[in-house]
Amino acid sequence: MNPHPDPPPQAGEGKSVWLTDPDYPALLREIHDPPARLYVNGQLPSEPMIAIVGSRHATPYGRRAAHRLARDLSDSGVVVVSGLARGVDAAAHRGALEGKSPTVAVMATGLDRMYPPEHAELAQAIAASGAVITEAENGTLPLPGRFPVRNRIISGLSLGVVVVEAAQRSGALITARMAAEQGREVFCVPGSIENPLAIGGHQLIKDGAKLVQTVEDVLDEFADLSRARARAHARVRAHTRARTRADSGPQEPELFAVWELLDWVEPRHHDDLAAAMNLDVKEVSRRLTLLEMSGYIIGDCGAVTRASRA
Amino acid sequence: MLARALSGTVFGLDGVRVEVEANIADGLPGFHIVGLGDRSLQEARERVKIAINNSGFEFPGRRVTINLAPAQLPKEGSGFDLAMAAAIVSACQERSLPVDAAWLGELAFDGTLRAIRGTLAIVAHLDRLGVRRFYVPVANVAEARIATAATVLGVNHLRQLKAHWETGAALDVLSALPPAANPPVHVDMADIHGQPYAKRALEVAAAGAHHLLLVGPPGTGKTLLARALPGILPPLSRREAVEVTSIASCVGMLPAGAGLLEVAPFRAPHHGISPAALVGGGGATPRPGEATRAHRGVLFMDEITEFRRDALEALRQPLEEGRLAVARSRGHAVLPARFILVAASNPCPCGFAGDPRRLCECTPQERQRYRARLSGPIRDRIDLQVPVPRQAAGELLRTTALAESSATVRERVIAARERQRDRRPQGPWNGALTGPQLRRDAALDAAGQALLEAAAERLQLSGRAVHRVLRVARTIADLEERTDIEQAQVAEALQYRESG
Repeated sequence: MNPHPDPPPQAGEGKSVWLTDPDYPALLREIHDPPARLYVNGQLPSEPMIAIVGSRHATPYGRRAAHRLARDLSDSGVVVVSGLARGVDAAAHRGALEGKSPTVAVMATGLDRMYPPEHAELAQAIAASGAVITEAENGTLPLPGRFPVRNRIISGLSLGVVVVEAAQRSGALITARMAAEQGREVFCVPGSIENPLAIGGHQLIKDGAKLVQTVEDVLDEFADLSRARARAHARVRAHTRARTRADSGPQEPELFAVWELLDWVEPRHHDDLAAAMNLDVKEVSRRLTLLEMSGYIIGDCGAVTRASRA
Repeated sequence: MLARALSGTVFGLDGVRVEVEANIADGLPGFHIVGLGDRSLQEARERVKIAINNSGFEFPGRRVTINLAPAQLPKEGSGFDLAMAAAIVSACQERSLPVDAAWLGELAFDGTLRAIRGTLAIVAHLDRLGVRRFYVPVANVAEARIATAATVLGVNHLRQLKAHWETGAALDVLSALPPAANPPVHVDMADIHGQPYAKRALEVAAAGAHHLLLVGPPGTGKTLLARALPGILPPLSRREAVEVTSIASCVGMLPAGAGLLEVAPFRAPHHGISPAALVGGGGATPRPGEATRAHRGVLFMDEITEFRRDALEALRQPLEEGRLAVARSRGHAVLPARFILVAASNPCPCGFAGDPRRLCECTPQERQRYRARLSGPIRDRIDLQVPVPRQAAGELLRTTALAESSATVRERVIAARERQRDRRPQGPWNGALTGPQLRRDAALDAAGQALLEAAAERLQLSGRAVHRVLRVARTIADLEERTDIEQAQVAEALQYRESG
């Protein structure tokens, strides 16, 4: 018997799942302080889960990495868990929604208090196939203390946690620490040594977290996921082929001449390229558009870098 | 005793005929003005009375009443002084003034005439109504002669009119002031170091009259670039020059003695400006704002995201229609406001987005919110968006090939404008082409079409964004003297799109 009868369900509010219920996530039940009750909006998936967490102030690189990894995990049949925050979390959820599996968002607030508010639509999309869950009562506000508590659920649900861009003393690092304490795997996507947001993650790698380049690096760690791994393998091989092709640049000599001058990380500007190539800027513009359309480069506010196409 | 003198004023930017009637009657000595005059007009009583007494006439010691007709039109300013003096003196002498003469000018206490605003507009209007002789302050003669082929008599001092009025003697035709030189061209393109990309965008903006947004951290030369734009615009046609001169005259920006202004205006309002000051408004009568002062020229809005939201919203109508309908309590006016908008802003709140040497610390949300300060309808009108990066110190010192001068660029701009004129004799320029007009004017070759479709798909361009690309590609093709738009022009145009 439930000690408290459920209030009638309202809009933006889901059903309750108790620790004793059969559909309570099994992995979460194993941690030493599992929440007694989860409020669930949507349907909690039963597939294996992996968490992707990281900075709210992620760089475009971090958001791309999270997006791609989540999509590939989702396509391999893995449920991506994250915290619905801005930056990496949102990119992970969006990437997972592009894949074939549902995704789970763990909120720190009550189901009726969307935080951040601009993610209301994203939460709806997540709940449509997967679930938005929280242990917080309706009306719980986004107070600072709620987030570390929420993080133990993110890691508790998951077989492992992938950290993408985490500053020192960040929430993502707390999640990684909790994962380690809960006996879960910790992974990390590396960044540039010049990026302050990569410091936390690189420290994790030094401490033994596994460095992640592709979804295979994650799936390799779990014998249970061999089926998923096999599915991922073909996909990753195809991507790697595309990557190799992209990494060696475009075929057309006039486009290659521009691409060659570009860097993967450091952006360059039109004027700079025109001077380096001794070309008219309008010709540089033309070539940059063609490179951009075939996905070899990315432009952001006039700053152009190479793009990885996988 | 009654006498009439013809004069005029401006309402909005249009000349209006005003008849000044002076009546001198027995009764308590006094001087009254009726006919909806404002404070400055009530003060005319003192000016006119003292000027008359100091010019060898005697102000009548009787009851003097001035009526300004039409009575329902609000009147302001000091331009009726001369007409009032003429009417009062004539009434005293029981003579009438010629009906085809008009009198304009403000009086100083010693009887000297001072320049007034709006001479060009008033003279042009009275000329159409058949006035054949204009008495204007010497400083306004050049301006008046733009508007009329009739006799324009420059008056320096009320005393010069004494013999003319008392004996009917012919007035010596007085010479105008030496013509004032046009203000010099602002900044030459050759003086701007480096930044070929931004300069190219300026050329395209000038050639197609496209609005332009310069995005870059402070201190990278956005203001200098904007100031170079008037110098590469085509010379004003006579009709445009008359418009520009008339507006300058109405708002009191025309230098004394100046004739036709031939350089496109450049206006750079501060970001604290009120909506009324930006686009026009004012008290009982409509007053042109900065948008109208920039008519046929450049309106530069530095730090455009810092402008008041209501001021930015008020820009919509001039951006869409090239004019403003201003309604005030005493009537409404249409103010022309067809300018090229050059907006400048930081790329993000911290200013370092896209900077190779500094990491931008803004979240995507902060950047998005920052950009949202420039509302959709205004963004939709800005065809060209150009990053203006910080140049490395080494770049600034590097001696590069001599940059093109404004005169060279201007020749290409003029040629591109001529191609547009051939296509659409009635306008508009490429920057204001609508969707249906683009379908006719902006024909793409197969490769260009394919590229645009691929770009629309890959970059998720909205219909409006596609139109912006087409307008710019059309102008680039005009600069390259091509009838059809090819892939190269579409590709270049795509670089000037709004970037994420």
